[in-house]
Amino acid sequence: MMAGPALRAGAWPAVTGLSAAAMLAGICGVLFPAATTVLFPISFALLAAAAAFTLDEPASLVVDVTPTRTVRRTGVRALALLVPLTVGAVLLVAGAMRGLALPWGSTALALVGNVLLGFAVAAVGRTRTGEPGAAASAAVVLILILPGTVPLVSHWVRTFPASGGDGLPSDTVWWTVLALSVAAVAASVSERRLPRRR
Amino acid sequence: MTASLVAARAEPVVGRSVFTALATRELRRFAVNPVFLAGAALTAVTVWNAGRTAVTEIDTVTPYPAIYLGGFGMMAAFWQTRSMRASEPIVGTTPATLPIRTAALCTVAIVPFLCGVASLIALRLYLPVAGDWVYGAFSPSARIAVLVEQTVLPALGGPLLGVALGRWVRFPGAAFGLFLILYGWVTLVTIVSLTHPDPTQNVALRLFAPFAFFTSYENVTEVTTWRGSPWLFIGWQFALCVIAVLAALLRGAESRVRFTIVRALPMAGVAAVLLLVLATGGGLAHAVRA
Repeated sequence: MMAGPALRAGAWPAVTGLSAAAMLAGICGVLFPAATTVLFPISFALLAAAAAFTLDEPASLVVDVTPTRTVRRTGVRALALLVPLTVGAVLLVAGAMRGLALPWGSTALALVGNVLLGFAVAAVGRTRTGEPGAAASAAVVLILILPGTVPLVSHWVRTFPASGGDGLPSDTVWWTVLALSVAAVAASVSERRLPRRR
Repeated sequence: MTASLVAARAEPVVGRSVFTALATRELRRFAVNPVFLAGAALTAVTVWNAGRTAVTEIDTVTPYPAIYLGGFGMMAAFWQTRSMRASEPIVGTTPATLPIRTAALCTVAIVPFLCGVASLIALRLYLPVAGDWVYGAFSPSARIAVLVEQTVLPALGGPLLGVALGRWVRFPGAAFGLFLILYGWVTLVTIVSLTHPDPTQNVALRLFAPFAFFTSYENVTEVTTWRGSPWLFIGWQFALCVIAVLAALLRGAESRVRFTIVRALPMAGVAAVLLLVLATGGGLAHAVRA
């Protein structure tokens, strides 16, 4: 299988559009340091949503019955993750250059965790449907906004490494999410599992 | 001739019954939507939890009905609107026109609106506040206006925006994208006002949103009341709701209905701008700390 055609068929408008929205939110976070701890998580959630669209395959009825292995197809599509990761990296560099007081290692971990979570949910969804992006991105965003919008949850877990606050530290949360995401992606591509058709 | 007159009279009656049937069905679907139910449950839990101790910062309670009922309601309404997209070729052949179906969808906003009203009543009657000073330097009626604009109107406008978005935007992630952007925008303009509340452009920016704060808290006992008229802000929110409904109805509208909507939209836009300007200029002349 050629990587080019497989990549071309991806949901690029969704991936790039959401990444652009994330860039916009992140830039505002860089420009207004007081709002960084709110706008960066929003930006990362949008990047996670973008990652959830990378596995969308409109022609899945045809593609899924080709001899190409799932792991290879998923690997090629994973290259699209470079878009949200690059956008996130640019924001981190811009924030560091502007002198924002953030723990950059933990913030980078949160970025990678967000993006990988979106990809993992999409990978699991891809075993059931050809275009899991819409449902996966919605699910990921709803999960990611909970700590910011539900006071009870924000007492238990922190998904962004801001100073202060209580609950499980963000590093612990994201290392756990990373491990679970890698396991979920590995399980979803471990065998040739075709989406169930109704 | 008699037959044609009877037919002419019967048509609106049939249209009304179709609308009622559709609206009832959409209301039922919305009321059991898991995202909306989650929002309603979170609102109830948050309001109940806030009522356990005396509240010294009212702004730590009031945004949640807006987020859960308005924000989650917007996402639920968007998905409900989009849910019929796949069957449009078949549904499009039924006697119910797209604007009638859209109008029926718009009625779902009644459910979160009523939940918003219930939240307002619960907040007003059962929320133990440390004193009237937590509402800032507002008159008793203006305090009610602040609560209405923060809890009730977003609950009405969110789902209406979701319907309009579902009618016009094909991208399935549009609702949560817009939710995040609006959340970020309100946060950003509020933070700008925290440091510089008095410049008119900052007031206009803060009010150029479907939800706005009117107070800030420096410590437990110091409240700053910001500029802007809560009552006129409610007018701006209503104008946004009208624009959302008109924009939703415009999709698929034909002949006279389309002409009417196209004429009404600019008027609603002008009214919205006017109300925003008046809301910005109204209220206190400068921020008041008490």
